[in-house]
Amino acid sequence: MSYLATRNFLEDKDFVDKWLYTIRTGELDLSWMNANTEKVKPHQANPRRGLTYRDLDLGSYGFTAVPEKVRLNRSYAPRGAELVEGLPDAQPWVSRKSEVWAFNTESYYEEAVSRQWNVTTDIPWERLDGVELPETIGKALSQLMTFLTEVEMIATDTPALWLPRINPEFVEVKAFIASQAMDEARHTEAFRKRALTTGWGLMKASPMNEMALKHLRDADSFSEMSVALHLVAEGNVLTLFRFSEYLSPTDVDKRIFRLVMQDEARHVGYGMQHFKYVLENFPEKREVVHAHLDEAENISFAGAAATELTESFIILAGGGLKRENIEEGIKITTRFNLKQMEEHFERLEKCGMPERKERSKLFQMFEMGKAAAEAAGIRLN
Amino acid sequence: MAFYADKDYTQDEAVLEAANQVMQGNLSLHWYDANTEKIKGKPADLRRGLTYRDLDIGGYGYSSIPEYVRTSQSMVARGSEKWGKLPDMGYVINRKSEIWSDNVTSLYEEDKSRRWTPAVDIPWSELDAHPLAPEMEAACAQLYTFLQECALVSLHFASQWVPVINQDFIEQKSWMCAQMLDWARLNEAFRKRALYGGAGLKRASVTVEQGLKEWLFAETFYQGSVSINLSLGGFLLVLCRHAAAFAPSRVDRALMGYAMQDTARQASYGMGQLRYFLQHRPAQLEAIQEYVDNTEHVMLALLGSPEVLEPLIIISGGGLEREQVKAGGVAVSKFIRMAAREYFERIEAAGLSRRSARSRIPAVIDRIEAPA
Repeated sequence: MSYLATRNFLEDKDFVDKWLYTIRTGELDLSWMNANTEKVKPHQANPRRGLTYRDLDLGSYGFTAVPEKVRLNRSYAPRGAELVEGLPDAQPWVSRKSEVWAFNTESYYEEAVSRQWNVTTDIPWERLDGVELPETIGKALSQLMTFLTEVEMIATDTPALWLPRINPEFVEVKAFIASQAMDEARHTEAFRKRALTTGWGLMKASPMNEMALKHLRDADSFSEMSVALHLVAEGNVLTLFRFSEYLSPTDVDKRIFRLVMQDEARHVGYGMQHFKYVLENFPEKREVVHAHLDEAENISFAGAAATELTESFIILAGGGLKRENIEEGIKITTRFNLKQMEEHFERLEKCGMPERKERSKLFQMFEMGKAAAEAAGIRLN
Repeated sequence: MAFYADKDYTQDEAVLEAANQVMQGNLSLHWYDANTEKIKGKPADLRRGLTYRDLDIGGYGYSSIPEYVRTSQSMVARGSEKWGKLPDMGYVINRKSEIWSDNVTSLYEEDKSRRWTPAVDIPWSELDAHPLAPEMEAACAQLYTFLQECALVSLHFASQWVPVINQDFIEQKSWMCAQMLDWARLNEAFRKRALYGGAGLKRASVTVEQGLKEWLFAETFYQGSVSINLSLGGFLLVLCRHAAAFAPSRVDRALMGYAMQDTARQASYGMGQLRYFLQHRPAQLEAIQEYVDNTEHVMLALLGSPEVLEPLIIISGGGLEREQVKAGGVAVSKFIRMAAREYFERIEAAGLSRRSARSRIPAVIDRIEAPA
């Protein structure tokens, strides 16, 4: 074993004897009854919403009271419980509030729990019975779904990797991260199931995207991971979902994209609020995040160059492989690419990083692309 | 940064040129004739929807995952065509027998369909209308403090293993993500219940946490699963059943009802995993027996910790009066025997035969004398 409890309870005669004595005699110690903890009386602020984490934001139990640097609790004890000597160290890596916190974290989690949906039954799969998409559309759709399955995989592993590293005091953040992992597993399931119902199966992997995406997981800090995952990658994917819903060939596909968009918007929401919190409360992190964004934005370049994705998107957008289809598809894909980049910089600006544009190669690409598109008569908005 | 993409794409002329070619309408279509199986999955039963089992077809199916996954270390979805330079994700669990259970897909589907929301599915206002006596509320607060410790450790267990399991085991990973949400939700529910009653949280348990950390930090997934899924999940299932039976309020009964559903799935997976492991790795039987020999003492930490035992006696007896404590002691004695019996039934049914004969726990349990 890699950890041994400080005693073997079967071999601890005093422990066993006391246990048996308590049961036999009913002489209870009851010292826990006088635990040195706060007594609070929460109430449901809005009975229709039920009892929320926000309703419990009281005194030492509340998330508001968590200090910037958590020094006292490193165990598995819930925040606010009486801590006694001998509790083990849970080995958290992240014990600083500004490294994980976001305004509204608790609400993002509550929303996630209440908006769980079921790919198996909430997608009208039966409507695909008898639907035969043209080969080009079917294959393009399968290719898009294949790519999205890969993307969702890294979005599952990354939050799962970080969750145990977060100090147990941040119970609401851990809860949100757990809900995100489940959301992403559900997305993987949705896209896999859709690919395997097209008649074409899964298609080709996207190596360039995978290579770029690996860096999401292997960030140096939670904040850097979050900026890259929640803001950059999921922000890009949110735009992709919106466009994909627009160009979906069936109602079933539209339904899938509408549902995944709900979840993805929540993740992006957390990412934005967290980044804002970082910039406001941990200002020395700004330069670190800039450097990380330099790498994260590399994903966008890799994505643009991953032709298996771009080409399938063009075919879906244009409705086929004929010249006029391709021309139309390129127009829509150009708008999509530009919109994705525009929204990325809008988000960063709203979070408090307007200067990103001056530093970013991606922004230069956006401006050049936008000028070229306008010259070709393609309007972004 | 621990990882940088293999190149700076902004500086790669060939890559940028490829992208430009596509946007000029010169599509390569290199993906168009992907070398993959062509299938069209359908729901076997429309009322149940499209399940993962419906897609257990050919090379896409989980049935065809080999014992050793040697050819995949990237994010590639199982069954799609691999090409080019794919990243190595560093997965350390690449053997099916280490994680698989024949009920994984069923448990995942059940998990999704039995979702619940602590904020609204528990009748919290009942506690306003019918508050508990102070000693009962304090006992509940202590019990729910303990349950949060269990939930957090279980949450960590699922989380810490997900990222190191090969992506080919997608159904397995999905199930573990569902477990993560289950434990986050139970943690939420236990915390809300403890605080809503007005007694606050109580004392963290050194005994419990020391023991659970030993289980959590097992060296392998399959060992940890025996401890956390089968043993802890099974223990919590019995505990929640007991607490539901003696619940002092409708709130507690409702909460324990949901908790039973969720913990039953953990125990069921734990049994299925151990069974699958032993069926495919029979030579490991003695090693697992030895692991359990060494770690089973944690079960006693759970059963014997005063932060668990005493509130249970009070809740089971209905209060702190002498007769109530006596009745509580009798009920808790039964609970302990039941927890031990079910534990041995589960672990033996999963393949650790004669575990109860080998274990040191029954001898200790036999020494329990219920109050006269």
